[in-house]
Amino acid sequence: MTALTITGARLLDPASGTDEIGGIMVVDGQISKVGPDVTAGSAMGGPVIDAKGLCLSPGLVDLRVKTGEPGEEHRETLATASAAAAAGGATTLVLMPDTRPVIGDAALVTHLRAPVPLHGSPTVRLEVAGALTVDLAGKAMAEMGLMAEAGAVFFSNGDEPVTDPVVLKRAMAYGASQGVLIASRPDTPALRGNGVMNSGGFAARLGLSGIPKEAEWIGAARDILLAEVTGCRLLLDQVSTPRTLDLVADAKARGVNVYASVAAHHLFFNEMDVGDYLTYCKVNPPFRSEADRLALVEGVKAGVIDAVVSAHDPQPPETKRLPISEASFGAAGLETTLSAMMSLVEAGHLSLLEALKPLTVTPADLIGRQQGRLAVGAPADLILFDPFAPWKCKREHLRSRSTNSPFDGRLLQGQVMRTILAGVTVFDRAAERAAAD
Amino acid sequence: MTAAPQPGDTAARFNHPHLLGLHGLHRLDIETILDLADRYAGLARAGRRGPPRLKDKTVINLFFENSTRTMSSFEIAAKRLGADVANMAVAQSSVNKGETLIDTAMTLNAMKPDVIVIRHSASGGVKLLSRKVDCAVINAGDGTHEHPTQGLLDTLTIRRNKGQIEGLKVVICGDVVHSRVARSTTYALHHLGARVHLCGPKTLLPGDAHDWGAERVSPDFEMALDGADVVMMLRLQLERMDGAYLPSRREYFHFYGLTRDRLARAASDAIVMHPGPMNRGIEIESAIADGEQSVITQQVEMGVAVRMAVLDLLAGAAP
Repeated sequence: MTALTITGARLLDPASGTDEIGGIMVVDGQISKVGPDVTAGSAMGGPVIDAKGLCLSPGLVDLRVKTGEPGEEHRETLATASAAAAAGGATTLVLMPDTRPVIGDAALVTHLRAPVPLHGSPTVRLEVAGALTVDLAGKAMAEMGLMAEAGAVFFSNGDEPVTDPVVLKRAMAYGASQGVLIASRPDTPALRGNGVMNSGGFAARLGLSGIPKEAEWIGAARDILLAEVTGCRLLLDQVSTPRTLDLVADAKARGVNVYASVAAHHLFFNEMDVGDYLTYCKVNPPFRSEADRLALVEGVKAGVIDAVVSAHDPQPPETKRLPISEASFGAAGLETTLSAMMSLVEAGHLSLLEALKPLTVTPADLIGRQQGRLAVGAPADLILFDPFAPWKCKREHLRSRSTNSPFDGRLLQGQVMRTILAGVTVFDRAAERAAAD
Repeated sequence: MTAAPQPGDTAARFNHPHLLGLHGLHRLDIETILDLADRYAGLARAGRRGPPRLKDKTVINLFFENSTRTMSSFEIAAKRLGADVANMAVAQSSVNKGETLIDTAMTLNAMKPDVIVIRHSASGGVKLLSRKVDCAVINAGDGTHEHPTQGLLDTLTIRRNKGQIEGLKVVICGDVVHSRVARSTTYALHHLGARVHLCGPKTLLPGDAHDWGAERVSPDFEMALDGADVVMMLRLQLERMDGAYLPSRREYFHFYGLTRDRLARAASDAIVMHPGPMNRGIEIESAIADGEQSVITQQVEMGVAVRMAVLDLLAGAAP
């Protein structure tokens, strides 16, 4: 039996609405007791950590992470992504299927969930989103049933929607008979065209082609209607406009099983941050207006948005150090997700529990996993963090192999001090600092 | 129950000019055909031909879609009743199909046949033709609509094995939405009181199958199999596999293939059926197709008997 006790923490559990001072006991990787009664005296052996008033919450469950493994390890490996995740407080990562080869069969799903440590052992739980269509080409549905049996938590067509509605409808109908969750990027590629940033006055002034909001609206409306017709569970993967939220809220009110995610950077930045042609701010969907950003924050608060994701997409200099129209989309985000959310808490937009809920219990429930809550019997995937510790994000300090972070140079709030996976500390900032001194 | 009909005394019992489908038929109509077919099956087993009820009559098999099995079955049935048979396999022209169809019908009608047996790839194609001719028409399969003699032979096979249809749990699994067999068989079994469960992935299940008389329509094959008396597997067309309606053949077999483990969920005396031709290893494991619960070859045998009965009822000489 291995045990660990943490005392004197501010327990934050969005699942139960708990926000109180107390402690937690962990036995054999699972939470065995939690609450104000847990003190140093109640420890059943094993180390006792005095949290000294730090916040203790479930580790983050991140539903959208890309690495370069397999196939593009120069961008990111599972090991470097894991290190970044641990430092950022994420303990479960859902890997996107757009790797080389595409994650399109049960064998690859099994392999990635329990990877052979080719590049070092990961320090997070790895979950897998399987390909929705063969090679993500949008033509023929992939082996969803077999991949789901191997543990794939949902199915996605990667960064591109399935443009052919017949293919999408059949995939959703088939997915519905398998009971799976299908994630779709609400987007219309023809309308997006060669767009670089949000369509509008600022893009016009910069001389950049825009990505119109209707590209997202039409995609979202189509996906929702097909989910309703087929009875499929649908996750709209990264929304960026308030009108999309209206579509989601309306569908939810009708009883359609539709969920929405937003990338943390969309809650922090707006289109003006593209500023002087910053390619690190080139993401799809693009950063929208300030009013749109605030509406997304409201959507998180109201629960219309179910999950906040990092949308971590490591891009090396050779794809980012280019004129913005030629640069790739995507931002590194594993180490800044929690801080982006804490900045919203600090600004008074969200309570701590409101900020943590779409990072923990709701995404865990969406993928049918037990973590993401401080409940007896749940996996002891925990973080200790200081919600208001100031720090400056410097990309050379990021642990990702690719450091294309739009937060580079920003002053942020909130830092993870310790990350615990199944009762084992996988990141300890104090020890890391001591080692550096 | 009325007295079982004897070959030769049934002409007045089936009051329809054609057999285009089972949907509109009465339970008594179906029982009349089955009872007579049962007699013909008995005769065949005794090594006897049928009575010459179609002597001096002409039956034309007009197949716009290839099917050696069904055409042979109709040909043998007609010949056992003494009919003259002409087989016409019409190559389908891709242009002006409708016009060709009606022209062909008028041409054949002028030859004064007594029965035309028609298979066509378009749903409703046989009905269209039946309006243009003066003789009896038997639908040998039209598109994804109906295949009434298949529905009847399935029902007869079940009745002979189980003694009755009423109350039986029958699972029909596979490409239901594109299957004329599933429609005809469900109608017949429902008329006779069976509890039909239609099963398959949602991409291959129709939205309105409850209207067919199915008790349950579900993608959960294993649940459907629990306690089933009859398990009928449908043929999966190759063009439906490989990504269009299904991810792959192996995934289909994994979730919907009839294996020994799955069949163990059905009643211990359950029978296994397939309209043929089978895709072994895709919808059915070979050991089951050839096993002792399989009545697949009996279905073929009953096919001839059912077709004899239908030909007799539509065109047999008055007693």
